[in-house]
Amino acid sequence: MRRDGRAISWVILSLVLASLGLSCDRGGTSAREDVLTLGAYSVVREVFHDGLIPEFARIWKTKTGRDLRFEESYNGSGAQARAIASGFDADIAVLSLDSDMELLVKAGVVKKDWNEGPDRGIVTNSLVVIGHRDRPDLPIHDWGDLTRPGVGVLYPDPKTSGGARWNIAAIWGAGLLSASRSTRDAEAARNLLARIQANVVIMDSSGRQSLSTFDRGIGDALVTYENELLLRRKYGKKPIPYVTPDATLRIESPVALVETSVDRHGNREVAQAFLAFLISMEGQKILASYGFRPVNPDAKLGDFPPIPARLFTIRDLGGWTQVKRTVFDQDGVWAKTFTDRAQGK
Amino acid sequence: MSSVGGKRLRSSIFRPQSLLIGVVVLWFAALILVPTLALANKALEGGFRPFWNAILSSDARRAFALTIGITALATVVNTLFGLAFAMVLVRQRFWGRALADGIVDLPFAVSPIIAGLMLVIVYGPNGWLGSSLASLGWRVVYSWPGMVLATLFVTLPFVVREVVPVLREFGIDQEEVARTLGAGRWRTFWQVTLPSIRWGLAYGVTLTVARSLGEFGALLVVSGNILGRTQTATLYIHDTIEGFEPEGAYAASVVLAGISFVLLIGMEQLRKYVEVRESGQSE
Amino acid sequence: MANSPPALILRTSTLAYLGVMVVLPLTALTTQAFEPGLARFGQAVTDPFAWHALKLTFATALVMVAINAVMGTATAWVLVRYDFPGKSIMNALIDLPFAVPTVVTGLMLVALYGPSSTLGTILGRHGWGIIYEQPGIVLALLFVTYPFVIRSVQPVLLEIDRGEEEAAATLGARPWTIFRRVTFPTLYPSILTGTALAFSRALGEFGSVVMVAGNRPLETKTGPMYVFGEIESGNRHGAMVVSAVLLASSLGILVTLNLIQRGRKV
Repeated sequence: MRRDGRAISWVILSLVLASLGLSCDRGGTSAREDVLTLGAYSVVREVFHDGLIPEFARIWKTKTGRDLRFEESYNGSGAQARAIASGFDADIAVLSLDSDMELLVKAGVVKKDWNEGPDRGIVTNSLVVIGHRDRPDLPIHDWGDLTRPGVGVLYPDPKTSGGARWNIAAIWGAGLLSASRSTRDAEAARNLLARIQANVVIMDSSGRQSLSTFDRGIGDALVTYENELLLRRKYGKKPIPYVTPDATLRIESPVALVETSVDRHGNREVAQAFLAFLISMEGQKILASYGFRPVNPDAKLGDFPPIPARLFTIRDLGGWTQVKRTVFDQDGVWAKTFTDRAQGK
Repeated sequence: MSSVGGKRLRSSIFRPQSLLIGVVVLWFAALILVPTLALANKALEGGFRPFWNAILSSDARRAFALTIGITALATVVNTLFGLAFAMVLVRQRFWGRALADGIVDLPFAVSPIIAGLMLVIVYGPNGWLGSSLASLGWRVVYSWPGMVLATLFVTLPFVVREVVPVLREFGIDQEEVARTLGAGRWRTFWQVTLPSIRWGLAYGVTLTVARSLGEFGALLVVSGNILGRTQTATLYIHDTIEGFEPEGAYAASVVLAGISFVLLIGMEQLRKYVEVRESGQSE
Repeated sequence: MANSPPALILRTSTLAYLGVMVVLPLTALTTQAFEPGLARFGQAVTDPFAWHALKLTFATALVMVAINAVMGTATAWVLVRYDFPGKSIMNALIDLPFAVPTVVTGLMLVALYGPSSTLGTILGRHGWGIIYEQPGIVLALLFVTYPFVIRSVQPVLLEIDRGEEEAAATLGARPWTIFRRVTFPTLYPSILTGTALAFSRALGEFGSVVMVAGNRPLETKTGPMYVFGEIESGNRHGAMVVSAVLLASSLGILVTLNLIQRGRKV
């Protein structure tokens, strides 16, 4: 038994060493190959992993003759922001909200002027839309239809999902601007949000999970990113019909260079080239094919439904800092919908 | 209510015993068996070929390699600790022994999410130990050391808890005999103590392995989920289960569950086999 | 003997390992949870969302424990005392929950008992829901803690001297009385151990519960789910406070268990 024990120990030891070798830290550049580390939010997984990254690697090889390897991480936007702020050495941060990016600025890993370029650091555009089941007995055309009793609504938890924050901000904004673009009806906004939240069946932890849950037959209406629903076509999934409410929010998601990582890895050149690629016509074309509306409004890329009449942006609502304070804070409007309902208001 | 060797003969299926058996089996089926079979069914839905392809995909392979590596390392370390500490607890008397005994059990009381949070607090870049380690160039969180630490934490008690009762029962007599016969401390341990506690040890190690393979919550908080670098099999499952190709997730689940399960059963069967053989030999 | 150099080295090194691996992180969590002061701690605990999450966690754990105490003991009894086709297979499969990743457990339970499943639709028609409602939480907890009571009671049941039971039977006692007056007193410490472990595990269960619960604040959001949400949304203090409460409770249970067991040993 002693001999067997020794043999087993050697086997285990070699397994351990092999796996450690497989998983050791390799970032930066080497003689023949460049490495770029990407820290992104979960919704852009396919467009980056299957679309943008292979294409850019090809371009880079043609242009410089060097191989390009990517290390990718896809998580909830908030989680990813916190990871990068806490030491994850991503070279490029691709996040859902600019306020998540501000977390990185505060941590000193992204430059303060990241959004002072002409495109304000935004690389993808989308809309908050409502997916439904096309049931004639349950017509869903606008936010108001989600307040009807018995309608099961799905969207993720804003605590863990950046997408959920866009969704709720869209509902809030639609109520706020219901009278007109220049007047603010806080009461209507609170009301709309409370009534829709009351119909929410489950709050999954991410937008993807919400989509999955809807796919499994739960709920009647799914509030989500337009690009998520358009992506299904590309992957041969059963299409989910959706409506774009008349008044909805444009989802603008940022990208930035993580200075500390790029300095450490010495791959600033390839990182900056990648950023430029994302904004370029080629990059935007790939994004459009994955359901993202082009950032440049004049670019005629992809086949999208028309822009809704009363489209608004987060700036119309006072910017994310303002919206976070009013809506998502611990005693904000969103939290109040629960406590009010629990007290029977 | 006389019985022969603990077995009873069923004479009619309507006796209260049969009712109890029925209820218990039904409960087991509804709660445990059917969901597990449903999992296996879902994984093999498309046939064996897609299942195999999913397992062999590059992401899945790297995830499994990482899981196996972390499991092996954590198991070795915690087995050494478990054996050593069991000896200390049972054979030594010192101030604070009861307290130490209790502390060993603590990881059972900690939710994996909380375990992850604690590790980030201590080993994160602004953490108690993390900041000093960072200045030495060592990254713990969002890298494999953090994941090994998380796994070490959640599997810490298993070997100790399984070995201690066996060691206690075994008693010190045989060891003392060995010593009076002139055997050294190490030899006594290898040839007298270890064989007597081997089943407790084996069970503890098996539990450690099974738990390490399935660790999720703490790794979710601590790893950063970097594909190929810090994505374990469980994180891979969590990641792909909502993707457009969930077969990989189901396949990986079946493999993980299968490995753990085979280990548990295998150990049980081995023990029975050896016990039967030994009792046959001793007659 | 206990203080000879090798013994001392063994003791010091293992205690050091224990200290760094367990005591250090726990201390870090507790100190940081209380750092902003006792008042802020109290505020964070009595926050309606935190408070409800804690209540829900305890309530579901208690319900699960009650069910498990009964069903677990019954299962152990059946496995030890009776014989039936498939018994050895079933005995082997008892440990399945130890092997299945929690991530997957929730998913399977939703697929089988969720609102769009056969059973779920039937129940839904009567206005009952399991998955995405509080019963779903109990269901997930029952799955992951299934083996605890069984494996705790089984060995004791195997060891029990049947002589007393047989004596009682010859004196004319009925089976239930025999169980209640003769067997149960010997059995209940192991039942207690199993349920205490199950309860402790339930307080911290995340992976399976997060998929079946529905995550609705003030309705179906449990303690660990609340902690995760607060970590993710940057409210680390809130997360630490609720963690500290959950930890203290689990700890309390384990310590009490230890004391009881110690009291029973000579």
